[in-house]
Amino acid sequence: MATEKGKQDAGKSPKKSAEKASSGAGGSGSSGGGKGSGGSGPDYPNDNIRLGAAGQSLFTKAAGLGAIGLAAAVALGSMEGDGFRRFSLSYLTAFMWVLALGLGALFWVILQNLVNAHWSIVLRRVGELLASQAPLLAVLALPIVVPVFMGHSSIYVWSDAHAVEANHALHKKAAYLNSSFFLVRFIVYFGFWTLIARYYLNSSLAQDSSKDGSGIMAKMRAVAGPAMIFWALTMTFCSIDLLMALDPLWFSTIFGVYYLASCVLGINSFLALTAMWLHKRGILLKSVTTEHFHDLGKMMFAFTVFWAYIGFSQFMLIWYANIPEETGWFKERFVGGWCGGWGMLSATLLFGHFVIPFFGLLSRHIKRRRPTLAFWAVWQLLMIYLDMYWLVMPNTHAESPPFALIDVACLVGVLGVFIAGAAMRAKTLNLMPTNDPRLPKSLAFENL
Amino acid sequence: MAAASDFNPFQSPPKGDNMFAQITDNVTRIMEAPKPPRAWYIAFGIALSMLTMFLGSITWAAWNGIGVWGNMMPVAWAFPIVNFVFWIGIGHAGTLISAILFLLRQNWRTAINRFAEAMTIFAVMCAGIFPGVHIGRPWLPYYMMPIPNQMGMWPQYRSPLEWDIFAVSTYATVSILFWYMGMIPDFATFRDRSTSTAKRIAYGIVAMGWRGSSRQWHRYERAYLILAALATPLVLSVHSVVSFDFATAQLPGWHATIFPPYFVAGAIFGGFAMVVTLAVPARQFFGLKRIITIRHLELMAKVMIATGLMVGYAYGMEFFISWYGGSSYEGFTFVNRLFGPYAWAYWTMISCNVIFPQLFWFKKVRTNVWAILIIGMIVNVGMWFERFVIICTSLTRDFLPSSWGYFVPTKFDFMTLGGSFGLFFTLFLLFCRYLPMVAMSEVKAFSPPGGHARPHLDHGHDDAAHAHAQP
Amino acid sequence: MSDHKPQAESTAPELHGILAEYDTPDQLVSASKKVRDAGFEKWDTYSPFPVHGIDAAMGIKMTVLPWITLCAGITGLGSAILMQWWMNAYDYPWLISGKPTWSIPANVPIMFELTVLFSAITTLVGMLMLNGLPHPSHPLDLVKRFGRVTDDKFFLLIQAADAKFDEQDTRALIDGTHPVAVENVLEDRVTPDNFPPGLIYGLIIVTCAAVVPLALAVKARHSKSDKPRIHIIQDMDAQPKYKAQRENPIFADGRADREALPGTVAVGHLNEDDHFYRGRAGGSWARTFPAQVELNDETMARGKVRFGIYCTPCHGQGGLGDGMVHKRADALAQGGWIQPTNMTQEYVRNQPVGELFNSITNGVRNMPGYGSQIPSEDRWAIIMYVRALQRSQAGTLNDVPESERGSLK
Repeated sequence: MATEKGKQDAGKSPKKSAEKASSGAGGSGSSGGGKGSGGSGPDYPNDNIRLGAAGQSLFTKAAGLGAIGLAAAVALGSMEGDGFRRFSLSYLTAFMWVLALGLGALFWVILQNLVNAHWSIVLRRVGELLASQAPLLAVLALPIVVPVFMGHSSIYVWSDAHAVEANHALHKKAAYLNSSFFLVRFIVYFGFWTLIARYYLNSSLAQDSSKDGSGIMAKMRAVAGPAMIFWALTMTFCSIDLLMALDPLWFSTIFGVYYLASCVLGINSFLALTAMWLHKRGILLKSVTTEHFHDLGKMMFAFTVFWAYIGFSQFMLIWYANIPEETGWFKERFVGGWCGGWGMLSATLLFGHFVIPFFGLLSRHIKRRRPTLAFWAVWQLLMIYLDMYWLVMPNTHAESPPFALIDVACLVGVLGVFIAGAAMRAKTLNLMPTNDPRLPKSLAFENL
Repeated sequence: MAAASDFNPFQSPPKGDNMFAQITDNVTRIMEAPKPPRAWYIAFGIALSMLTMFLGSITWAAWNGIGVWGNMMPVAWAFPIVNFVFWIGIGHAGTLISAILFLLRQNWRTAINRFAEAMTIFAVMCAGIFPGVHIGRPWLPYYMMPIPNQMGMWPQYRSPLEWDIFAVSTYATVSILFWYMGMIPDFATFRDRSTSTAKRIAYGIVAMGWRGSSRQWHRYERAYLILAALATPLVLSVHSVVSFDFATAQLPGWHATIFPPYFVAGAIFGGFAMVVTLAVPARQFFGLKRIITIRHLELMAKVMIATGLMVGYAYGMEFFISWYGGSSYEGFTFVNRLFGPYAWAYWTMISCNVIFPQLFWFKKVRTNVWAILIIGMIVNVGMWFERFVIICTSLTRDFLPSSWGYFVPTKFDFMTLGGSFGLFFTLFLLFCRYLPMVAMSEVKAFSPPGGHARPHLDHGHDDAAHAHAQP
Repeated sequence: MSDHKPQAESTAPELHGILAEYDTPDQLVSASKKVRDAGFEKWDTYSPFPVHGIDAAMGIKMTVLPWITLCAGITGLGSAILMQWWMNAYDYPWLISGKPTWSIPANVPIMFELTVLFSAITTLVGMLMLNGLPHPSHPLDLVKRFGRVTDDKFFLLIQAADAKFDEQDTRALIDGTHPVAVENVLEDRVTPDNFPPGLIYGLIIVTCAAVVPLALAVKARHSKSDKPRIHIIQDMDAQPKYKAQRENPIFADGRADREALPGTVAVGHLNEDDHFYRGRAGGSWARTFPAQVELNDETMARGKVRFGIYCTPCHGQGGLGDGMVHKRADALAQGGWIQPTNMTQEYVRNQPVGELFNSITNGVRNMPGYGSQIPSEDRWAIIMYVRALQRSQAGTLNDVPESERGSLK
């Protein structure tokens, strides 16, 4: 009985709605909706959903910029003459920023499937494409992780067996912080992300041409629950390994959630920008509407607040208890007071990452206008980068943020490669799941 | 208008010639009925006697001093604070359903939001009593409010306990406002359907002359949206502040940065468990099966498994970091939780909160009313034990072995805990009898228009109403 | 279409407006569009729930409520900052747990709570005020069918007060929207007169009664009383315990204070050494300092400090019996005051140290004993210092070093 009901649910889902807005659409927007009950063929408006020539040109540009950026970064890094230590730090910052986008995309895709969201279907393929860059991200991670495997990382103290022997605290943690276990974890993280991202992209593509759109939809939903659990665990431990372990003596139980805030804020901002870029090229012009941008804006607003909540929880509790082994980490980041050194970057994050965008994104008019939304999306992506900088750099540069050209080169390089990878994959695909039974609801979606 | 005596209000099918009228009949007949069902009287009698026990045990504690409880150094917080955090947590599901699910456009919430909100308010009332009696002199809590007093002193705002005062009182106030505002249109319905003058005046006063004007609805909806947007961070802040009570301390097992989100997830988890515990009997006894459907219970089960896993994640992170952090005190505390004198409480918590809810992965379990009810009750127990484990295992064995101890509750501890359920259920049963238990206007807003079959209009309709349409 | 005549034609009340009833929200929306396009201003629609799309159909402008809420929120935030700064850092600064008196991270939770509290209250009150609620009486209340507006029916009302209102034309416009029923709504002449007078008197009485406690409180604040304040809650003022010198029925002798049992000594009170603790040696006052007391500069310095604390108030800095207590008593000249002993007098100088020790321990004449306040070691140190004072007053030229004698002459 129960399973029968489940099938019924799935079959009827186009008629059913969890969207208030569409409930009273009055028929105009949802003209095509309601009759497609799984596999009755594409039912989206006459819209351009192929990247076409724009994809090739994007790939060329992004790959070119990425190559130039990486080459410049390596050149600048070798000029430092510090065994690529400065390069590694810059590269790690840029990588963690791009990883936040890739992981955020994967999270976003899993979440939309998990909660059976209707509004986001038009954007789902873009998310899937970004998430499917997990293998590329694994390759991009090599410059950081290979030295760890080799046992002589210039930025992770614990990769050096001699240093570990000399330090009692590190010695106690060696069961976790050691090169070979790190290798195992690295394979598990990126292996899982690759698998699950491939699964979602492939299922989604199969759905486009399948007669059983709702069947595939049900399968994707069923996978989402376990996938989310493993995503949460891998994301947490990856952030602990790559960011928290830079200072192997410091620890915070909330750290994984802190990185999650950046992932989700990052992907919502990045999706908004991607959709605007596609619009400029006449793609998805009719499918992705102001309503979808409004929703992305709401998510940006929500996760701006969420980031502040998590960041404040972490800071305030450590500040209040004032235990030496924890509080030192923040002390490093407040060097120089409010107006100089790391303290100024901390203040910039407080105001730039929370206070200013909070008021900036408060109004619905701002979220519904493309230029203003684009401004805040770029702003928040920049702030996430500064946040990564704030997490990575103070461990080695005690005085003040060592902003330099090499940071820009690394950022351009890693982001360029990431975008080029996505563009290459996207060239030949539909940029919208055309056969999802929930698509009509998404197309007709209207906010309150 | 249907006269109240026309039908046996708890058995007969709803009257009314269209969908909207059916919804109205379904909800208002509870209030219009001359007598509630016998089960209500039995439940009310039990609740009332438990309430008497509550008042008695509190009076006894106030008269004799709190030495009548088992609280003793090193476990000075013990039951009263465990119960406080437990009840505060219960309240969170109501706000989550009424505010967060509203913002997330989860329209299935309309069937359960009203009584979940009521549950919030009653739970916060229960919660507020415990710190009040725990201070030992329940006539002095005004010291904690910023009131000019004869001592020329002001409250100490750097104390997390002071934050609690503000957080809990703000939460109670905003929850009541939100609840009341949601009920205004429904009070108007009650007023317009009342047959006795007394009821008409009483409901008329609380309805404030609401007549459903669209110009008023416009501002009303906007206000509802704003209150939802305000209540969402508020509900997060309340349990975060409660978690600060612990996490700002340096005590091993209390000082963890993940406490705020972990407490919030746990609160929602426990709150939903309480919602299903109440929803299942309520729909059974008050004939609301058409409005609170199996589908609603299934969705709540899903929320429970999600939040339960978040809580499990926090348990795991605490354990990992207690080892990774390298502090031997932290490490000891967690080993002590597993194998120490309170291991029984710890394993109760783990099995109730992490293991049993996993049954919800099976659709058969999720759609079985009794399974949901039983697992909901198990989770309630588990969440109570979570607070017990946090408070008692950490306090009994802290840094100094010479000050270790073991907390044993007295009969007054149990009477106060059990009695608080009496307060909760007494209020809840009165609410079921006299107030609109389902947000009629909201359910109607998501119903198929007109109640007449109008297939040419593709209006999305809520599952609750959908089930209603084909009984 | 029903065609209702005005209900109470004989009294001929004014026409308030025309009411149309509809079955579905969609009919209401399409009717609203027609009325809006006809250019009416004083009209409204009524529904059991917010009808989707009605705002646009009626041309309702966005409410200012969000801005009011924003202002309230900022006020709340400011109040919280100001309150916490003023109370903790300015008016009652108090150092606790090493945190600055104005600790912003610790103030954030309350800032947040008050922001939300102010915003939420303002939102509800603002919504009610903008909507003109509470609104007890309305002409529509007299229309029987309007009772179903909170149940399942949808209504549209065009007021006669509107500039474009014309009974015939407006009626025709409304008929064109295919309502289920149309009815003329008359002004309410009945309800205001029928406001129950009992309710008014009741309100007046309640208001007056409510002032009484307030008045009592004001009176209490501005008047004086010799009586002790009312002591409702005893806290721990009356404790079930036996105080010193009271009766205790438990014991046969009825005394609350119990004596030590014969032959027992309290811990730390054995004090076997007669010389050290009582100044006795060989059956008479000791003439030497006990062996436990080391006669050195350190003991002398200690003795000077203890002497300064315990002895100078009466005996004076030099031990001459001219301390501040004496000067004060002398100045009051109330009689009966005996000057404290000048301890540099010969008879005191000749007392053995053991006798001096006894005087300090147990007192002599007016002087109380200091044995319970000054430990034995310190009493001996004081005696050492007293001996030095005595010596200083009884010195001869022989005591002065030969090299200095010249300067004294």
